[in-house]
Amino acid sequence: MQIDINNLCFAYMHKLVINNLSFSLSRGDFLVIRGKNGSGKSTLVKCLLGINPVKNGMIFFDHEDIVGFKKWTIMGYVPQKFEDFNYEYPITVKEFLSVSRLRQTKDSHVLKLLDKMGILEIQNDNINSLSGGQLQRVFIVRAMLNNPRLLILDEPTASIDKKNVLYFRETVNQLHEEGVTVILISHDESLANLNYTHVLSMSSDFSFSFQSRENAELTPGVNE
Amino acid sequence: MFLSFFSDLFNQDFMLRALIAGILLGIIAPLIGSIVVIRRLSFIADTLGHFSLVGISISFFLTYTFGWTVFSLRPQYLAIVFSVIGGLLIELFRRYYRNYKEIAMAIVISLGAAASAIFFSLSKKTGSLYNYLFGSILTVTDYYVVLIAITSLVVFLLFGLFGRQIISVSFEETNAKFFGINLGVFQLVFIIVLSVVVSILLESVGVLLSSAMMIIPIAAAMKIGWSYRSTTIIAILFSELSVFLGLWIAYSFNIPSGAAIVSVNIIILVIVSVIKRIMIKRTLKKTPEIANFDVGE
Repeated sequence: MQIDINNLCFAYMHKLVINNLSFSLSRGDFLVIRGKNGSGKSTLVKCLLGINPVKNGMIFFDHEDIVGFKKWTIMGYVPQKFEDFNYEYPITVKEFLSVSRLRQTKDSHVLKLLDKMGILEIQNDNINSLSGGQLQRVFIVRAMLNNPRLLILDEPTASIDKKNVLYFRETVNQLHEEGVTVILISHDESLANLNYTHVLSMSSDFSFSFQSRENAELTPGVNE
Repeated sequence: MFLSFFSDLFNQDFMLRALIAGILLGIIAPLIGSIVVIRRLSFIADTLGHFSLVGISISFFLTYTFGWTVFSLRPQYLAIVFSVIGGLLIELFRRYYRNYKEIAMAIVISLGAAASAIFFSLSKKTGSLYNYLFGSILTVTDYYVVLIAITSLVVFLLFGLFGRQIISVSFEETNAKFFGINLGVFQLVFIIVLSVVVSILLESVGVLLSSAMMIIPIAAAMKIGWSYRSTTIIAILFSELSVFLGLWIAYSFNIPSGAAIVSVNIIILVIVSVIKRIMIKRTLKKTPEIANFDVGE
């Protein structure tokens, strides 16, 4: 999916968070957004997801303005944490994924994705019995259910174990290889094991740099 | 005692009406209750019950103070209308106080209690308040049974057509639009259906016990359910069992039917909790290596 961001500005109440941010992504690109806490990464993602309202002409998906955009089913989103998710009530992994699919998505597709993620054996497990890593994969499957053209993922913080971070990154690479446009918010300094094509570095003084991977690798400190 | 209850159940019209009403409510109350529990809105039924009481009190006020007989026979009409208004007010306040959503219910429940007390007192009918606080399934009319049947049909249709979307959005609202669900429309339809169900429950189990019919069977089923489907089916079975035993107790010992049904519900919850605890202890004894870990109930 083609994404164009033109002079995006966003403020919470009177506090400006993003000022004149512009960049474009083509179909099949893989963008990593990085920057310290408070640099506006999450705010940008909320703008892209339509949670933070923006003005006309600032964000376009396939040349269609986000204001009035209705085709949200072509996107998938994997949050960093699942605070909003209700863990207590019994529901199996398969049930949870089945209720999230669109009418045209078949149940067999759900099983195929679970198999691909290596979590087919937990399909009948209760969702509240899963480990953090397994839950993350269930949410990736959920985001992939309806064959999205754009996948936005918020990477788990470095505080979760390294093995899971590595697995997460390998999974994202795999999804990108299938032709999905990927936007990944990284909370880790290192971009190792990520097959990204572009990097957006944001800082809290509203400056940003949008670079292709080749250019980014020439900049010291970007790809350790 | 049990035999005479059975013969009266099918020979006495009022018993048959109570049974049909009870069976239908025994299905729709936990069905809606499951969504209420998942959305962490357990107090909502209480709140809507209090607010629908405003409709009943205004019906009395118009009838006995102004002599308007429009609502005298069917105070349920205004009860449904006010329950829906209460539901919409809750949704409005929930959006206003995003991070303190329970404030919405506190505001609406107080407004409902205050307004109904005022109108009951103005109509000098405070005595009839008892009937609406505790309800009576044994005195329901044919008209009421038809009303429950229509409401049940609408609930079944909604679950049949949009069950997947309803469950999905209840578990997690943020991602709803990526799965083709309009969150605003869902919230509106849900609150209207819930308001109607609560005001219908008012007549049979009363304001104070309507939420119990929705929540307690789910609370018991959650302890032993292993999936959404199994939890809902178990909750409906518990609910039907409590309706049947509750009717028998109410009929045999001449106590309020709503109170009897809810008491059976509570007893089921206690039994299930105790059995679950014993089973966990036994498992821990058999497998001492996991005894040091925190085992969820």
